[in-house]
Amino acid sequence: MLKIDLGPNGEILLSGRFDASRVDYARGIFNTITSSSVVDFQNLEYISSAGLGVLLATQKRLAETGQSLKLINMNKHIRDVFQYAGFDTVFQID
Amino acid sequence: MEQKFRRRVEALDEIFEFIGGFAREHNIDESVSFALNLVVEELFTNFVKHHPENPNEILIRLVRDGSRLIVNLIDYDAQPFDPTLAGEVNVQESLPNRKVGGLGIHLVKKMVDELHYEYVHGESRITVIKNLEK
Repeated sequence: MLKIDLGPNGEILLSGRFDASRVDYARGIFNTITSSSVVDFQNLEYISSAGLGVLLATQKRLAETGQSLKLINMNKHIRDVFQYAGFDTVFQID
Repeated sequence: MEQKFRRRVEALDEIFEFIGGFAREHNIDESVSFALNLVVEELFTNFVKHHPENPNEILIRLVRDGSRLIVNLIDYDAQPFDPTLAGEVNVQESLPNRKVGGLGIHLVKKMVDELHYEYVHGESRITVIKNLEK
């Protein structure tokens, strides 16, 4: 189950599984982000298109004011999903 | 191995547990197991979204046939919904032109070797095949 916490430097820490059952919870938190932020995937095991949708909606909204999300520490499987979705060109992924 | 699941996204935890049990029993590696979770979630949630009012549970069947994994999802008393007809997604689109949503079936097609659909006697049946060795 997805859990979202705030890290010591203001980064957004994701853990668990980002699936369709947790979209409302995630959207509620991502909707509060108003400036460029780092999202740490270190402890995220899984993501589906539902999770991608929340991230993309946030990135589009932030881009309107010149802000963006930077995504870090993705596991290989999640990175593959981002690549299949073409998200590697709309997010900075480190 | 097969099981019916209630038509709610909240059933996903039980579905992942079901897939995990199958993966352990058949020595499915982590990469294939990840793909299996994603493919089943996308297809299951599509059934849920397209027919939320249908009272029937949705059947998921997982079979290992040698070096192939066969996944069936069956929706009973359903309206036809053919995922193989889903339009192509332009994944090269720039951020402002990107639409939110519509990626599920695109991801499924990327992660499996075959995707089939048939509608028989009011049943929507999806079959997915993933080859384990290439």
